[in-house]
Amino acid sequence: MAWTDEELVARTVAGDADSFNQLVKRWERPIFALAYRIIGRHEDARDVCQETFLRAFRALPGFKGQAKFSSWLYRITLNLCRDWIRRRKRTPVVAAPEGIDIIELAAEQGPVESIEELVARRRLSEAVADAMQRLPEEQRTAIILKEYHGLTFQEIADLQACPLSTVKTRLYQGLSVLRRDLEALGKTPRPRAERAS
Amino acid sequence: MIDTFPCDDKDWLVAFLYDELDDAARRQVEDHLRICGACAAEVESLRGVRRELSGWASPDAALGFELRPTEAVSTHAEVVRPARWWSRPAMPAWARAAAAVLVAAAGLGLANLQIRYGAEGLVVTTGWMPAAEVVRPAVSPAAASEEWQSALAALESSLRQEIEAGRQPTARPTTGPGARELDLRRMTDLIEQSERRQQRELAVRLAQFNRDLEVQRRTDLVRINQGMGQFEGRAGAEIQRQRQMIDYIMRVSAPPPR
Repeated sequence: MAWTDEELVARTVAGDADSFNQLVKRWERPIFALAYRIIGRHEDARDVCQETFLRAFRALPGFKGQAKFSSWLYRITLNLCRDWIRRRKRTPVVAAPEGIDIIELAAEQGPVESIEELVARRRLSEAVADAMQRLPEEQRTAIILKEYHGLTFQEIADLQACPLSTVKTRLYQGLSVLRRDLEALGKTPRPRAERAS
Repeated sequence: MIDTFPCDDKDWLVAFLYDELDDAARRQVEDHLRICGACAAEVESLRGVRRELSGWASPDAALGFELRPTEAVSTHAEVVRPARWWSRPAMPAWARAAAAVLVAAAGLGLANLQIRYGAEGLVVTTGWMPAAEVVRPAVSPAAASEEWQSALAALESSLRQEIEAGRQPTARPTTGPGARELDLRRMTDLIEQSERRQQRELAVRLAQFNRDLEVQRRTDLVRINQGMGQFEGRAGAEIQRQRQMIDYIMRVSAPPPR
């Protein structure tokens, strides 16, 4: 039987370190993905992920369950990402830092996907990542939390410490800027009304 | 039907897009979208953006973090990432020293280092080739002259003996079938020896050529890699510069805020 997050938290606080490792195993990938999409650098995202769990463990006795454990972890991650961005003092550019490695592509080529399709998919992914990195941090974070982590408007508002309507505005503005950028790259169709005019 | 949705209020549109409306509100939005082409187009285009966003995958990183408490469970703990070959814990100093001695000994063994000290002084040789002859210390001129004269006398005596022997009749047949057969065998032996020597030389040359070719290939690969690295660096810088220029042009060409 799988323990819930809250049960694992309680067991950890009671002295069971393995329970915390189960939480780590459960959440390390979403936390890494969140950090990577926000700061755009693989190794730094790993560092943030590691630091998130260390801080969470240290602060665990103070966690009273007023929020979901995942929301609490996300908050720690977002704070660390914000610190990282401040340290960098400039918007990070993800822009495919690793580039396209044809050998790696061939290695990960599936049975039904050709190299050309794989390259196209990778390029699209890079274009999206690039456009995301140009967004203001608040809009980017709101979109990431909504699109890739499925948080509700209210949960995002709690994490970003802002009103619900601000979250919706950030999402709308962020999506609109992305639409413009991706249209410029020819990645997404223009609205029918615009094309007609 | 009276449309109650102001088209410039985007909160409802976002909530509809992410399916965070209750049933009644969703039906109202759907009704509105049937009669408002602009809003319907906008919803459709934002859905397209969301589809593109779904293609942005985070890298498949090898994570595997693990908590290792330094005591029993307490706040003194560390979260460690899986070790990599280049980030193993540092070796103790004694182990490093032992490793260095071993490597040095192995290197000296391979180089066949020999150190001798004798009448010729301190001699250090390396490699598997025979050591060069040691130049002996110079002797006195009188002794050298005496040695030279005795060697010359010995050579003269040896030559005289050989000439005398050449004048004597030999027991070896010089004519007839036996002599011809002997000569033929000798010729055959000489030819075989010559062929073997040539084969050996050819094999040595081929091996040397292969070695040179491999060295050249590796050198070329390194040069190509360095060239590609420089090219990538220049291309990256150029892309960055272009991007900054486009951003600047977009900023200055944007209409001023009212």
